[in-house]
Amino acid sequence: MRTGVIGLILPPTFSFLEMMWRICPALAMGCTVVALVPPTSPTPLLLAQLAGELGSFPGILNVISGPASLGPILASQPAIQKVAFCGALEEGRVLRRSLAGKCVELGLALGMESLLLLTDTADVDSAVEGVVDAAWSDRGPGGLRLLIQESVWDEFMRRLQERMGRLRSGQGLDGAVDMGTRGAAACDLAQRFVHEAQSQGAQVFQAGDVPPKSPFYPPTLVSNLPPASPCAQAEVPWPVVVASPFRTAKEALAVANGTPRGGSASVWSERLGQALELGYGLQMGTVWINAHNLRDPSVPTGGCKESGCSWHGGPDGLYEYLRPSRTPIQVSCLSKNMNYDTFGLAVPSTLPAGPEIGPSPAPPYGLFVGGRFQAPGARSSRPIQDSSGNLHGYVAEGGAKDIRGAVEAAHQAAPGWAGQSPGARAGLLWALAAALERRKSTLASRLERQGVELKAAEAEVELSARRLRAWGARAQAQGHTLQVSGLRGPVLRLREPLGVLAVVCPDEWPLLAFVSLLAPALACGNTVVMVPSAACPLLALEVCQDMATLFPAGLANVVTGDRDHLTRCLALHQDVQALWYFGSAQ
Amino acid sequence: MSAHNRGTDLDLSWISKIQVNHPAVLRRAEQIQARRTVKKEWQAAWLLKAVTFIDLTTLSGDDTSSNIQRLCYKAKYPIREDLLKALNMHDKGITTAAVCVYPARVCDAVRALKAAGCNIPVASVATGFPAGQTHLKTRLEEIRLAVEDGATEIDVVINRSLVLTGQWEGSDFIKTSTGKETVNATFPVAIVMLRAIRDFFWKTGNKIGFKPAGGIRSAKDSLAWLSLVKEELGDEWLKPELFRIGASTLLSDIERQIYHHVTGRYAAYHDLPMS
Repeated sequence: MRTGVIGLILPPTFSFLEMMWRICPALAMGCTVVALVPPTSPTPLLLAQLAGELGSFPGILNVISGPASLGPILASQPAIQKVAFCGALEEGRVLRRSLAGKCVELGLALGMESLLLLTDTADVDSAVEGVVDAAWSDRGPGGLRLLIQESVWDEFMRRLQERMGRLRSGQGLDGAVDMGTRGAAACDLAQRFVHEAQSQGAQVFQAGDVPPKSPFYPPTLVSNLPPASPCAQAEVPWPVVVASPFRTAKEALAVANGTPRGGSASVWSERLGQALELGYGLQMGTVWINAHNLRDPSVPTGGCKESGCSWHGGPDGLYEYLRPSRTPIQVSCLSKNMNYDTFGLAVPSTLPAGPEIGPSPAPPYGLFVGGRFQAPGARSSRPIQDSSGNLHGYVAEGGAKDIRGAVEAAHQAAPGWAGQSPGARAGLLWALAAALERRKSTLASRLERQGVELKAAEAEVELSARRLRAWGARAQAQGHTLQVSGLRGPVLRLREPLGVLAVVCPDEWPLLAFVSLLAPALACGNTVVMVPSAACPLLALEVCQDMATLFPAGLANVVTGDRDHLTRCLALHQDVQALWYFGSAQ
Repeated sequence: MSAHNRGTDLDLSWISKIQVNHPAVLRRAEQIQARRTVKKEWQAAWLLKAVTFIDLTTLSGDDTSSNIQRLCYKAKYPIREDLLKALNMHDKGITTAAVCVYPARVCDAVRALKAAGCNIPVASVATGFPAGQTHLKTRLEEIRLAVEDGATEIDVVINRSLVLTGQWEGSDFIKTSTGKETVNATFPVAIVMLRAIRDFFWKTGNKIGFKPAGGIRSAKDSLAWLSLVKEELGDEWLKPELFRIGASTLLSDIERQIYHHVTGRYAAYHDLPMS
């Protein structure tokens, strides 16, 4: 089912082609588009005029030409159902913050830097052409980082510098000019970057036949930039290229993955095995092998990490503009008194439950972290009450330190789990389902104490087991697909697990919800840190007892405690790849 | 020819370290043809420069002294006099770079050029052109006879059986092929060859020349070749000592383009002198 009205916000240096890449799928899927473009270029307005002349549907494409500050205003219009933002990181963050709580989807494509990794078994001349194409033609969107293997460093630099000397920059569409200009703002940005780099000790090489006036900036090659300097962490502006050496493939992957940007990259090597290994290892949205910037409308492109999470092109790009039918209408849950600084900071202290009546409950459960039950850092527990108000048990009070430990354990288990075959993953989920069935009576009796009827309790347990099995079966079905496109060469679409998922479960259905959220995350190869239902976490902890024996350590971690506080800790933790939250409006 | 290739020791590791990224080379070839277009008076200038690189060639079975004479005259006056006058280039001595004929016709060519008062070199194909599958003794004898008759350049056909078994020779110029194959001078092949020339120059300081031959028929193509050499090797290689185009019908197409530039009209075949 199509999404509705899409708002499109474009950066000041966008190209017409990029705009079309976003508008066409939206229109094809039946959505209408309102695009905000910077006032410097009239082409989108012409396009909108043409669209308006199409007769029966005058409003399908609307273009507003205005400054970037209109972006958040456009995004907060009530009729907009999705905002697709393409541009710089900071603005993306601002937009995300302003849209929080409203039921507007946000697709982000941030940052325009890409990476070129050159090994010593590559055709260096062709790689030089690739650099020129990527960085200094009008096709490349942003700056370029080069990672060159040390053994070919000199050769590559020499060829690149010689080639730079033959570049020509200027105005005009004639074939004599290689690159144009992106405006005075871009020129200033590049200027500042280069000065900073120089002051930090880098070597700068500029060449090419460039008019000396302001908006034209010559092609620039920066080398010997110390990796710890602030310039090396910032995004590289156009038309600057920053080159750094590496010694082995392993080092290359570490350096390449060591930035928060995860847009696109290319690997140059004539040895197939090495090229594929590096390609798989790079944490980037798009990886090209022995080419750079090959684009085709049927091939999806997107990013990872800080480069955003939306996809363009191909079937994934079309899914961006659809939402599953039967999604309930989402109500905007905007809290008036939302204070990010104080939310969840303090843990309300829990009073002791009063004089204990009846048999003494079991000793307090610990946190299930790293495959075993551990005492919480704060060394305190909270009581859990059953439906009649009696004490049901004690669970641990988890805090920031425990979250940290849980995430670490999850990360340790993540590579091993992701590397497991889908069959192995399915096997484990099925084993857990079997264990749940064996425990049916215990789980059902616990549910009964929470006020659920026996029949319903048993049904809940059965349904949980069934869901685990269903997800186990689905684990087998996911995989990589090979796509044939207009490009000369195959396109491989890899579905990779995200990493560590944090899940905050709702209060209702303490067992079923826990299992239903655990299963899909694990089936796809992620590891989890879960905060179970606040009202009754005991059921989740019962399941943990089975997981302790069945699962590898750290695969699933459960932390109990104050939900708001733990949510805050998880949200602020920067190494959690995704967070699923079911809870209060705040 | 300027300096001869002083040669170096054969280092086979240079050859084994070569990597060629075929799709990237194909992309570069397409790019060269598509992006570098020259128009108006610059086009006319480039075309005249292209003329000075042509090795005007006739290699057919029925060559006799009469068509060789016509060829040599055309080599001396490649573009019609009035057209050159209109471009103010009639006194710059524009001739083709050389005349290329079979060894038996070298005598005729030398005589015709002397009669025309022209000192263009005569190049001879030799060594069992075009297949090269003759005995070494006769091949050497062919070269000797051609040189005795007055040829100053020899297009040598290498022994392909030696190449395919990895035994290499050196030279002053490399040529894409004899021109008699099914696939002759294509841009991707040329890109790889030009890069090899550049590598060799960087490693040894020797400048090797380049000659594409076969299949270059239109003036537009010749401009693409010139821009390819300019981009990959630089202006130094755009001299007849280091760059030749082996062609026969190319000259008439260039002449027609220049006619169009000067007069604004397209010429018929009979308007321009035959070669």
